[in-house]
Amino acid sequence: MATVRFGLMALMFWLFAGVAMAQAPGEQHVRIDLVAESDRPAPGSEVTLALASVPEKGWHAYWLNPGDAGLPARAEWTLPQGASTGDFRYPVPQRLMIAGLMNYVYEGPFAPLVTLKVPADAKGAFPIRLKLSYLVCTDAICVPGKADLSTTLQIGDGSVAPDRRARFDAWRAALPKPLGSEGTYQVTGKALRFAVPFPAAAKAEGEGYFFPATHGAFDYAAPQKVVRDGDRVVVDTAGVKSVGPIEGLLAFGKQGFWVKAVPGTVPVASGAAPAAQLPWTGAVLAFLGAVLGGLILNIMPCVFPILSLKALSLAKANAEGGSPRAEALAYTAGVVLVCLVLGGALLALRAGGATLGWAFQLQDPRVILVLLLLVTGISFNLAGLFELSAPGFVNRAASKGTGGAFATGALAAFVATPCTGPFMGAALGAALVLPWPAALAVFGGLGLGIALPFLLLGFIPPLRRLLPKPGAWMETLRRILSVPMFLTALALAWVLGRQAGVPGMTIGLAAALLATLGLWWTGLRQRKGKTLAWAPAGVLLLVAISAIAFVQAAPAESKAVSGAEKFSEARLAELTAQGKPVFAYFTADWCLTCKVNEKAVIETAAVEKALADNKVTVLVGDWTDGDPVLGRFIERHNRAGVPLYLWYKPGEAEPRVLPQILTQDMLRDLASGG
Amino acid sequence: MIHRMLVDAAVVAAGIAAAPLMAEPEVAATVPNFRALDMTGKVVDLSAYRGKTVVLEWNNPGCPFVKKHYGSGNMQKTQAAATAQGVVWLTINSGAPGQQGHMTGPEAQKFVAGAKARPTAYLLDPKGLVGKGYGAKTTPHLYIIDGKGQLAYKGGIDDKPTADVGDIAGARNHVLAALAEIRAGKAVSVPETRPYGCSVKYAS
Repeated sequence: MATVRFGLMALMFWLFAGVAMAQAPGEQHVRIDLVAESDRPAPGSEVTLALASVPEKGWHAYWLNPGDAGLPARAEWTLPQGASTGDFRYPVPQRLMIAGLMNYVYEGPFAPLVTLKVPADAKGAFPIRLKLSYLVCTDAICVPGKADLSTTLQIGDGSVAPDRRARFDAWRAALPKPLGSEGTYQVTGKALRFAVPFPAAAKAEGEGYFFPATHGAFDYAAPQKVVRDGDRVVVDTAGVKSVGPIEGLLAFGKQGFWVKAVPGTVPVASGAAPAAQLPWTGAVLAFLGAVLGGLILNIMPCVFPILSLKALSLAKANAEGGSPRAEALAYTAGVVLVCLVLGGALLALRAGGATLGWAFQLQDPRVILVLLLLVTGISFNLAGLFELSAPGFVNRAASKGTGGAFATGALAAFVATPCTGPFMGAALGAALVLPWPAALAVFGGLGLGIALPFLLLGFIPPLRRLLPKPGAWMETLRRILSVPMFLTALALAWVLGRQAGVPGMTIGLAAALLATLGLWWTGLRQRKGKTLAWAPAGVLLLVAISAIAFVQAAPAESKAVSGAEKFSEARLAELTAQGKPVFAYFTADWCLTCKVNEKAVIETAAVEKALADNKVTVLVGDWTDGDPVLGRFIERHNRAGVPLYLWYKPGEAEPRVLPQILTQDMLRDLASGG
Repeated sequence: MIHRMLVDAAVVAAGIAAAPLMAEPEVAATVPNFRALDMTGKVVDLSAYRGKTVVLEWNNPGCPFVKKHYGSGNMQKTQAAATAQGVVWLTINSGAPGQQGHMTGPEAQKFVAGAKARPTAYLLDPKGLVGKGYGAKTTPHLYIIDGKGQLAYKGGIDDKPTADVGDIAGARNHVLAALAEIRAGKAVSVPETRPYGCSVKYAS
C-alpha cells in the first residue's frame, strides 16, 4: 500500500511539475528514422520517404484512425521551394483491445510511406525537415512525443541502392492495395452491414477484419463477422450511424486492401439469408428432390424390411383397435425431426467454419475434391462394392409397433443413417453449399420422403395390399441407381480439372481410386464376415482426404488472352524499340473490375481477333501478390493500383492510359490503328 | 484501508447497475441516472440536479491530454465559467485501482485543491459503471445534460486534438460554446464531436 501511495504522490509531483517540462530523449518510446528511397533524386521526379518506426517493447503507436482513444501522428513539413508531399500511407495495423476500448495500433516495427515531389528546377542540396507529433502508449499510460527529423538529399540521377530498394519493397508489401471497386454499407439501428466486391476466386488467408479509417459509422469495439459470399466480402458488426462516404482497410491476416464505400442497401450474406430472399423455385426443387430421394430410400434393401415390418405392426395395431393414423404421424414426426437435427448440426458446423475463415464454396477445389470422394463412395455402394448395414436392433425395434411410434421413427432414421448413406450423403453435400434454409429443406424433405410410404399406409389401409414383395428386383434397381451417381462423380472430376488444372484433377482421381480400393477391401472383408471390416477403408479414406493439402486453384495466368505474354519492363522496352504496338494490362485476382473487363472485353473473340489481326502484343502483369516491381511501374502511371490498361502505339513516346472501364469498340479501334 | 472500503462502496449505480458493456446515450436522448460517491464520501445523485444544466468531465490526472488542459488552467477556467452560470460540473474518475490516475477520496481532494479545480463535485467511479453507462472513452471526455435530463453535447473539450498546450489559444471550446447556446435558448450547433485523449483506464 505504501509503495502505491508513494507512486501516486510521485505522479502528482510529475503532474504539477508542469506540462512545459521537455521530454528527455530516452522518453520517446518509439525510434523513428526518416529514410528516402533515393538519396540522389532526379529533378522533376518523385521519391518515396519512409518513417521507419520501432516502438519500444510494450508500447504501441497509432494507425491513422486510432480507434476509441489515442491520436494519429501529425506531420509538419519544411521543404525546399516547389517541393510537396502527399498523405502518409500506413501499413496494415493491429487490433489492441484494452478494457473494452478498441485501439488500432502498431506494436512492432512499421513504416508509413509518403511521396515527395521534387520540382523540375531543383539542384544541389535538397534539405527535408519534418516535425512529427505522435502519441505512444502502453496498456496503462500514454506519452505524447515530438520528433524533429531531417535529412538532406542531393539532386542527382535518381539511383537507388539495392539494399535501400529491398527495404522499401518490404515496406511497400505491407501497405494495403487499393481495391478498385466501391463497397456499400448500411446502418440499421445498431447493426451495420458492409459489403465489398471481392472475386470469389481470389485467395484471402487469415482472419478478416475491416479497419474503418473514417470515424463515426462503426462501433470499433464490436466484434466483426467477416464472410466471403460469392463475389463479395460481407462484414456484420455494430454501427453508430450512416456518415456518407467512408474509407477503410479490409485485412485478411497481413494482407490489406484499401476500400472506399458509400451508404446503400446491403443484402445479407447468402449463408445467412432468410427464406424470403431465396429464389422460391430453387428451394422448392431442392425440397422435392429430397422428398423423392427419401422415397427411393424406402426400397433400399436395408430400409425396406423395416418398412415391411412396420406395415405389419400397423395392420396389427388396426386389428387390436389402436390408431394407425396417429402412429403413422408420430413415426413421420420422428423421422423428420432426426433428419432436421442432423442437418442443423451440419449447418452449425458450417457456420463455425465460416467464422473460422473456411469458405464453403463450389469455387474452392478442395470442396470439390471432398464432394468427389463422397459421390464416388456413394456410387460404389450402390454398385454393391461394399455394404452399409443398419444394426440389427433397429429392425427389432421397428417390429414392435406398440412401443412409441415416434421414438421408433426417430430411432429408425437415426440408427439407419449409415444405411441411408447414399442419399444422406447427397443431402450432406447440399448442406455444404446451399443457403441454410434450402439445406434444412433438403433434410426435412429427405425425412418426409422416408416416412411418406408409411404415412400413406397409415391413412389408406388398402394400399397395404399393394406393397410390393421384397426381392431381387431391389438389388437390380440399386445397381441402376449407381449410374447417375457415377455420372455426378464424372462431372465433379471435370469441375476439379477446370479449377485446379490437370495436376489437381489427377490428384483428385488418385484420391478417389485410393478411397475405392479401401472400400473394396472392406467389401471383401464384409463378405467373409470378418470383424473390423471397416479398418482398411477408414485408413485409406483418411489418406485420400489428406489429398486436400495438395489441391490448389490453378494460377490465374491460364485464363489470359491467347498469345499474351507475362509483363516485364525489359520485354516492353524490346517490343517498343521494334516499333510494335503493345497492349499492357495489369490485373489481380482480388480486383473485380479487372475480372469483369477481362471476361466482357479483353478475352472476347472479337477483341482477341482484332489484337491478333493487327499484331498487337499483349503483356499481362499479375499484381495479385503485390509484386513491388510491378507496383512501382503502376505508380509511375499515376495509379495506386489495378486495373491499369496501357496502350503503346508505335511512334508515340508515352503510352495512352485507358479508362478503368473498357469497351470492345475502344480496343478494336485502337488495334486497327484508330 | 478505510479509503479502500470507501472506494469499493463508492458507486451505487441506480439506473445503470451492472452494465457490463458500453452503452452510449445519443444526443437528445434522456440520459441514464447514476448515484456515486464523491471525493468526500458524499452520495451524488444525478437526478437531484434535474432542472439544471449538468456537465460531466472524465478525468485522469496522469493523462497528458488532461495535463494539457489542467496545466494550462484551461479546464479550471471552463469549470469556473460554467459554475458561475449556475451549471453543475461533475468531474468523474473511472480509473480502476492500480491503473494510471486512479485516486482515493483524499488523493482526489489533494488533486482538486492543488490544481485549483472548480467542479461542483469530483466523483469516484473505480468500477467504471458510470463511465461505461455513458460510453466514456477518453480523458478528457465531456457531456452536457440539459435541464430536461437530455443529452445536449458529447465529445471533446475543443477542436484541437493534440497534447500541445500551444493549441489551446486558437481552439474552439465546444463546452463553453454549447453552454452559451443552451443559455440563450438556442439549439446546440455542434452537439457531437470526436473525443480525444488517453483511453479511460477501466478495470479489465
